[in-house]
Amino acid sequence: MNFIELAILTTGFLLILAGCYCLMRTYHIIKILIGIEVAMKAVTLFIAYAAHINGKIGLAQSFIITIIVVEVVVAVVLAGISLNLYKKYQSMDLRNIRKLRG
Amino acid sequence: MEVIITICLGFMLVFAIVAVMNKSLLKSAIALALVSIFLGVILYLLTAKWAAVFEVSVCSGLVTVISISAISLTHEEKEQLQKKYMDKRRMAMLPYLLILCGFLLVFIVLTAKIQLPYDQLAEPSTETLSEALWDNRQADVWGQIIILLTGAFAVVTLFKEA
Repeated sequence: MNFIELAILTTGFLLILAGCYCLMRTYHIIKILIGIEVAMKAVTLFIAYAAHINGKIGLAQSFIITIIVVEVVVAVVLAGISLNLYKKYQSMDLRNIRKLRG
Repeated sequence: MEVIITICLGFMLVFAIVAVMNKSLLKSAIALALVSIFLGVILYLLTAKWAAVFEVSVCSGLVTVISISAISLTHEEKEQLQKKYMDKRRMAMLPYLLILCGFLLVFIVLTAKIQLPYDQLAEPSTETLSEALWDNRQADVWGQIIILLTGAFAVVTLFKEA
């Protein structure tokens, strides 16, 4: 394994680790959004590098565009949930969702 | 090329840690945009040019706008934020964990001599993005349309005035 492969794989794994650590350790809903985004960047990096060594760059780009669409929709939905949560409880704590009934 | 990719990877990792650990949400969102920009540079160098364009314009533009507008519409004081969530104390272990895991990964890869499966690769194809997306992956396009409609309905439902 040469240096650039090692660097890309290690960085991607560490990005996923940072994102998952953020998901586990915080209750703030915008921070959770940021953690998800950071982990998804690593997935994009992995797919792009797989296409680089595989030669199927068109296929990988279509996958990356699908990932980007999913990222944006996740961001929009989480932002909407956070606004409604703030309107109801004046706080962005995700644990407040458990208090909702009906 | 490899030097630029390595530098961009380093910046990506640093800004990702800043995005995750910073107590100011605005700085976190801006650091996330910078992560996207460096990822866009890497994608461009790996010859995924359309993906790089989408990454820079959508992920570093649109997602940043969405998150910053959500932050500014739900303004909480920085001191109160710190007191309520204690993110700084909760996140304090992350750099040590990343350094440890990084060294561990490099050590494992170098001692076990792990190789990528180059010999099992199929023939490289000359398929372009439009051929791949519109001809071979039409199911993905329908999935994207459904996801976008889901997002649009979510906006209509979640942002409507009660």
